Amino acid sequence: MKSEFAFIALPVSALIAPSAFAVRYLTVDQAQQAIFPGKSFTAAPVKLTSVQRKAIEQASGVRVLHDEQQVWRVSGGGWFIVDEVVGKHEFITYAAGLNLDGSVKQIEIMDYRETYGGQIRDQKWRAQFVGKTSKSTLKLDSDVKNISGATLSCRHITDGVKRLLAVYEIALRH
Amino acid sequence: MKFGLTFVAALLVAVSTSHGHEAIFSWTYTTDLTPKGHGECEQWITTRWEKEHGSYSVIDFREEFEYGVTDNFQLAIYLNHHYVHANDDVPAEDPAHPGNRLRGAYVTGGEDVHAGHNPATVFDSYHFESVSLEGIYRLLSPYKDPLGLALYFEPSVGDQETELEWKILLQKNWLEDRLVWALNVNYELEFEKEDGGGYERDGKFEWFTGLSYRFVRNWSAGLEFWNHHEFADATVHEHSAYFLGPTIHYGGERWWATLGFLHQLPIGQAFSHDNKEFAAHDGYIFGDEHEKYYVRFRMGINF
Repeated sequence: MKSEFAFIALPVSALIAPSAFAVRYLTVDQAQQAIFPGKSFTAAPVKLTSVQRKAIEQASGVRVLHDEQQVWRVSGGGWFIVDEVVGKHEFITYAAGLNLDGSVKQIEIMDYRETYGGQIRDQKWRAQFVGKTSKSTLKLDSDVKNISGATLSCRHITDGVKRLLAVYEIALRH
Repeated sequence: MKFGLTFVAALLVAVSTSHGHEAIFSWTYTTDLTPKGHGECEQWITTRWEKEHGSYSVIDFREEFEYGVTDNFQLAIYLNHHYVHANDDVPAEDPAHPGNRLRGAYVTGGEDVHAGHNPATVFDSYHFESVSLEGIYRLLSPYKDPLGLALYFEPSVGDQETELEWKILLQKNWLEDRLVWALNVNYELEFEKEDGGGYERDGKFEWFTGLSYRFVRNWSAGLEFWNHHEFADATVHEHSAYFLGPTIHYGGERWWATLGFLHQLPIGQAFSHDNKEFAAHDGYIFGDEHEKYYVRFRMGINF
């Protein structure tokens, strides 16, 4: 039976040893300039109250994972928000730029380390969110197209944007 | 054996240089498939050991290549081979009372011991078993529908046995898809070569279920449960055996690995006279089909 334990030891060491590379496509500064070129940004972090949290979850139908939201006020009007959603293996960090009226100006994927579905970084997929508001359906295979092999990532980004639009309505608008 | 070790070592070295995908369970299938146009190479290693008496240990190897024909239809081919060591592991039959065991006497046997082997001698052999084809068709996705549902079919052809296996795969996710529950309902028909020539037909009804939670990024852990029912000639219910154990999974960008352990629970039930006499022991079911401990390692590389 000794040989069997060698076969157990090998896999265990293989599981423990390697780790994933952390790949960041865009820093916060780069994402800010990609969405709002030439603008200046003032940090305006939001700490959600339990009442706001419940209201956001009720309005969006999406669970709020973090009470603190990284938000910047954009010169000339608008909001820049950095958010993360659960990916297949790791968190997906993305940024959303909202116009003064609360509609989506643009989204940028800052970190994506999944096996499939790198196409969510493509401008064409991200462009589906432009102009969406808290009144939009924002549902996969309805007003947002799915990407083959990356259904989980697509759904979570879509849910994330829906939640951020609810954050705007409940915590930023007024 | 050496070939297997070399192959696994080479595979581990190869992937350790790539960065860090996927079976989150060791035994239970989810409805996740390889996307259209993509492929995956997977290595399975299962060790299983300990019967009622003597020594019995098997290392099963499976090399798999799977390919996404469409986003909802996946085909795979497997090479199945194993190393078997068996000695005095099954109860001997009393020649004076056929159908009953001879108390205190054991012979070498079991499902993995080749037909024609002298039961009075040790069996120690590496053997290429069979080639399997697998097709999985997904009807519902757990990410878009309330429940994931897929149908599975796998025929295997080898020199000692031929198998046909059908599965219904179910999956339900919660907590942003970090908590995953899966249920597989399986039926298998097996045609095994007999000592006197000809083939013995067996039927197996099984269900596997697992619950796994992604507790930190890349890592998930859970529990798996397996209940196996054996039917002689695919009609006579011989026994029901139960297994339970933990499983841990790492998933990265280009590869994933899963390690699981199953322990047979001493709550097995033997129904036929043959199984009550030869397979049941202290609540465990051994006989030809089962061992007490199982460890399975799976590793996949996506491309």
